[in-house]
Amino acid sequence: MKQRVVVTGVGMVAPLGTGVEKNWTALCRGESGIGPITRFNASSLKCQVAGEVNDFNPGDFMDEKFIMHFDPFIQYAMAASMMAVEDSGLEVNKRNQNRVGVVMGTACGANSYFEDSHNFVIQGNLRKVPPFFLVNDSGNMVAGVVAIKFGAKGPNHCPMEACAAGTDAIGLAFRLIQHGEADIIIAGGADAGITPTCVASLDILGALTSKRNKHPETASRPFDGDRDGFVVSEGSGVVILEALDTALSRGAKIYGEVIGYGNNCDAYHYTAPSPTGDEQAECMRLALKDAGIMPQEIDYINAHGTSTVLNDVSETRAIKKVFGKYAKKVAISSNKSMIGHMWGASGAVEAIFSLLTIREGIIPPTINHETPDPECDLDYVPNQARKADINVAISNSFGFGGINGTLVLRKFSEF
Amino acid sequence: MNVYEEVKKAICKVAPGLDESKIVPGALLKEDLEIDSLDRVELTLELENNLGFYVMDEEVGNITTVGDIVSLIETKVKERAN
Repeated sequence: MKQRVVVTGVGMVAPLGTGVEKNWTALCRGESGIGPITRFNASSLKCQVAGEVNDFNPGDFMDEKFIMHFDPFIQYAMAASMMAVEDSGLEVNKRNQNRVGVVMGTACGANSYFEDSHNFVIQGNLRKVPPFFLVNDSGNMVAGVVAIKFGAKGPNHCPMEACAAGTDAIGLAFRLIQHGEADIIIAGGADAGITPTCVASLDILGALTSKRNKHPETASRPFDGDRDGFVVSEGSGVVILEALDTALSRGAKIYGEVIGYGNNCDAYHYTAPSPTGDEQAECMRLALKDAGIMPQEIDYINAHGTSTVLNDVSETRAIKKVFGKYAKKVAISSNKSMIGHMWGASGAVEAIFSLLTIREGIIPPTINHETPDPECDLDYVPNQARKADINVAISNSFGFGGINGTLVLRKFSEF
Repeated sequence: MNVYEEVKKAICKVAPGLDESKIVPGALLKEDLEIDSLDRVELTLELENNLGFYVMDEEVGNITTVGDIVSLIETKVKERAN
């Protein structure tokens, strides 16, 4: 018999602030965390805006040696994990350490550390390449450092699954607990891709917005008729997933329940989504079937909603294929309109916001929704947050390589 | 060149936040200064880059204290002078 899986702690570092509360409050007010790129000189690029993390002080969470040794994306993951563990009241000890795991996803890993280390190679100075380069560049290190921090000796994974990494990390952790391989998993995602190489590559690909550099807060506009690309942002989202029995026995507070997960692949193109939305639709169906939920029972869809011309259309088509006539009634919104695209962190951050949407009965808006698009004609909760009774929600994430992930989340009820 | 001061400077670089008063000749790198195997590699590289020596892996194998590092570097200074 499968274990039920609940969320007992949350932590976040994102463009709207450090900490879940700060981000959630700003999100419900419709505030934007997007501003000009300050990390490097982006003047030669078409896109000059990003969602930078600006109020994060790593010294509040880790010592100077750790900060010196590790890329910002690992620092974000560590801080978010520490916040989530503290929030959950979890104590890892000799009795439970083999039953506590870590699943931490990322799209691109240690970009800054790579670029800084590679500068020495370009200069012809190989002996100056830091020994910590390979430590950072090992894809799984973000899961490793969190496990070391908390002594979590259970399952350990690091799905490198592009923009679906955070969703897939939670989905994988959900499965592991369902099937009894762990009781508790620290799960989430992190990325810090506002670096010259990453932003330049996406800019040249034509994936990023470029029309609103003078008004950055208006640049991310999912489903809007005048959208022109996504905004790169950064940070981390982490949840503590726990077997219900374990959570109840230690009197943990419960944010909500994970009841389903789906994952598949478009198998269509390296970067563009399948235009029909067939595979994204199938991913949502797989998640709903896993949850034992009918489409009409879904009260809210936390969309992938990147603000690219292609994704927002294919996602809308996919939603219509799954939900039929009900697609016009279900509330949909994109957190990315305010926090931008956090890549591997986005799925985890958006899962946290979905749980708060359920718990608080408030749907954060899709801001900057001004121009109609006949191909995106559903209810995206435009511009203003909305009070609603949300019992079950889904959260979508679709990534490069055509990878798709969907979570189904429900208000917690013991029986 | 004051070898001891150079070694102290390098230790401070690879272990930021370390209480400098702990860096004494008899201090054990691992137990007293929390300098683990990766930190030792960084320390070796820092001394190489600052002082211009090349340190072989087998030379660092027996080093356990700050004094051991100072002795190794002083030996290299003498070798270079000769």
